[in-house]
Amino acid sequence: MTPMRAMVIDDSRAMRMILKRIVTKLNFEAVEAGDGKEAMDLLADMTEVPELALIDWNMPNMNGLEFVTKVRADPRLREMTLVMVTTESEQSQIVRALAAGAHEYVIKPFTEGAMIEKLALLGLVPTGANS
Amino acid sequence: MSVEVEVNESDLAEMVEQVWESYLDPEGVSPLIPTYDENQPSEVHSSVSITGSWSGHVVYASSMAAAQRAAAAFLAMEMDEVSEEDISDTLGELANIVGGNVKAMLPSGAQLSLPQVVLAPESSARYPNAQRISGVYGIWEGEPVSISMWHSSSDNKEEEGE
Repeated sequence: MTPMRAMVIDDSRAMRMILKRIVTKLNFEAVEAGDGKEAMDLLADMTEVPELALIDWNMPNMNGLEFVTKVRADPRLREMTLVMVTTESEQSQIVRALAAGAHEYVIKPFTEGAMIEKLALLGLVPTGANS
Repeated sequence: MSVEVEVNESDLAEMVEQVWESYLDPEGVSPLIPTYDENQPSEVHSSVSITGSWSGHVVYASSMAAAQRAAAAFLAMEMDEVSEEDISDTLGELANIVGGNVKAMLPSGAQLSLPQVVLAPESSARYPNAQRISGVYGIWEGEPVSISMWHSSSDNKEEEGE
């Protein structure tokens, strides 16, 4: 069975490593990008689109909201599940991200368990993967 | 214009507790033990600036040993595997996370900068026209760690100029 793929998009290498560790534990194959532009460039070269993207908001070159908007405008990428993972925790920002097309929103700091629960709610990992 | 907002020690302490629970001490065995000593020494620090509806800085400072331990915990590495780049990345992300959560408590219209990391004591940093308004100071695994919040305002500038 081909493993699912997750794109981890964050300008912090430390945060990418944390997220990569979590999704790898869940049997995803992880691809990293340092900002939205790098992620779009990687996606343009991929024949198979990742099932999941974990996206920071504040990044140079192209921020997370711009990335979500671009992905949602591209029919080839419409099956991707988009999860914002960010310190932007104001209600207005959450509404903006969801309106732009993000499926879920995780506020930093988050525990590994909380992230796995979110992914389980999205049907990307089996319920109970956290235990 | 910058409005007067107080994010107090209790708010900061709650954010810090979440950071420890999420990344630095997920097992709950090594909490940050408060010292309430705002003059405790540091060897490295990181900061983010907030502008807009409120202006100021959030600063994370610690000894080098605590920074190394933080990087090891954050990145799931052994202490002796941690590089200077790992320490910088971790310090930057810690300031970003606390700063982002502080921003969420401010009136809308505040913007957060990308983090700055300096491998030198916090005492070497200068925040023009700013004064420390709150902070959490403690010992983690025997090493000093602090998270403080600085407010910049024209009032501070006037006071300093007097």
